[in-house]
Amino acid sequence: MAKPAVILVGADKGGVGKTTVSRALLDYFIAHNIPTRAFDTESPKGTLRRFHPEVTDVVDMHSTADQMKIFDTLSNTDAQVTIIDIRAGLLSTTLRSLRDIGFLDAAKKAQLSFTVFHILGPSIASLSEIDETAGFMDDAHYILVKNFINNTTFFEWDPATYNSYFNKIKDAHDITIPKLNEMACEQVEVASVPYVSFVANKTGRGEPANYSFVLRGYVRHWLGNVWAEFDRVKLLDMVAPELQRRGAARQA
Amino acid sequence: MHRRTPIFIVTSSRPRVGKTLIARALTEYFCAQRRLVAAFDVNPDEFRLIDHLPAYTAAASLNDTRGEMALFDQLVVEDAVPKVVDLNHQLLDRFFQVMQQIDFQAEARRRAIAPMVLFVADPDERSRRGYSLLKDRFPGLPLVPVFNENVQHVGMYRSNFPPTRLGGEPIRIPALTPVVRSVVDRRNFSFVAYVQKSNDPTSELYEWMSRVFVAFRELEVRLMVGQATPQLRHSA
Repeated sequence: MAKPAVILVGADKGGVGKTTVSRALLDYFIAHNIPTRAFDTESPKGTLRRFHPEVTDVVDMHSTADQMKIFDTLSNTDAQVTIIDIRAGLLSTTLRSLRDIGFLDAAKKAQLSFTVFHILGPSIASLSEIDETAGFMDDAHYILVKNFINNTTFFEWDPATYNSYFNKIKDAHDITIPKLNEMACEQVEVASVPYVSFVANKTGRGEPANYSFVLRGYVRHWLGNVWAEFDRVKLLDMVAPELQRRGAARQA
Repeated sequence: MHRRTPIFIVTSSRPRVGKTLIARALTEYFCAQRRLVAAFDVNPDEFRLIDHLPAYTAAASLNDTRGEMALFDQLVVEDAVPKVVDLNHQLLDRFFQVMQQIDFQAEARRRAIAPMVLFVADPDERSRRGYSLLKDRFPGLPLVPVFNENVQHVGMYRSNFPPTRLGGEPIRIPALTPVVRSVVDRRNFSFVAYVQKSNDPTSELYEWMSRVFVAFRELEVRLMVGQATPQLRHSA
């Protein structure tokens, strides 16, 4: 049995594109045939669930029952990867809860793989978020995400200051999510389908759709760039090293 | 063989090289064969192709995503109707940038759409660079240099526009005398109507059309052969 992998996607600020990154991650793992499930903490309605209803549950991270639903099932679910899209403002709280329930210790003992995607906002406040989060990251893969999808300009950042925060974390990587054409972004929202379904011109039920070829092209191009960033930091190696090894052995 | 949809993109890196004249003649070449044709006038301000062929031409813009959708969503339709794009030199970069971003060529291959770029040459260094860039960035796209003899000294710069593997040898557009050119440039002038009315096959314009239409036929054959070659290799 492969070691379970948990990926937290969060930020302490809203509107920075957490769900966008979670959606791209789900598409990425599903495209690589890695069984994946997701939890959407935008309780009660959910956002991620709208795009990936078949693999996503909406949970309340404050509820012990829901915490059990996520973490007590890690070793007996078919899904190798669990993605948790953390509601804005709850990243630090969630990390504290994970420490309290012994999850971080399990990661330390290499019983599971733990990765955090920290989505950064444009303001200097994001840098202090890194500082706050760093304390929990000793045994996790930490990926800082500069998300340009909302036309963000990271204007307040001084590279030296950024590096001084970034270097505090042992196993940290940073990735960039490029901007997606606004109309393409809007149309995928309206269609409420995974990015890969939009590219393949399919509805949520897998039936042929009638999306614009141009918009599909923009999404395909953008998603390709996002996945290239995931490849660059060797995300599959982090979360599914056994599958990677098997794939390499098959190729050999 | 699946019915293919040819797309001819007539463009240049410089203005006033006869691009719209070639796009007009190409559109009317299909009309003369009683084939359906759709033309697109991709110009930032003046729409000269539409002025001449309003029944066959749509204005297209690349100013925003809606404009791009209006153009490329039509170009990708696999209806076997030839398409002619009159692409202004100012929009050349943007057009091919969009084409690359939306991976137009991959979709074209899937849908048996056969694009071909007709690049109207001129002596300017910008044209040499533009042609070279297209050749390098789109090795899978048939690119054909067009030497319009109305462009002065263009013959001396042939080496700036080497033939490409998929596009083949350059085609030549004979020069028109200024008087005939002024007739052809009239808004209500139609090549097809002229041929139907003319009873003099030795006239300058008749000869010009014959040679140009033969060149266009040659381009169609190249596209057809280009499409058939991989299948022939496969069956061999």
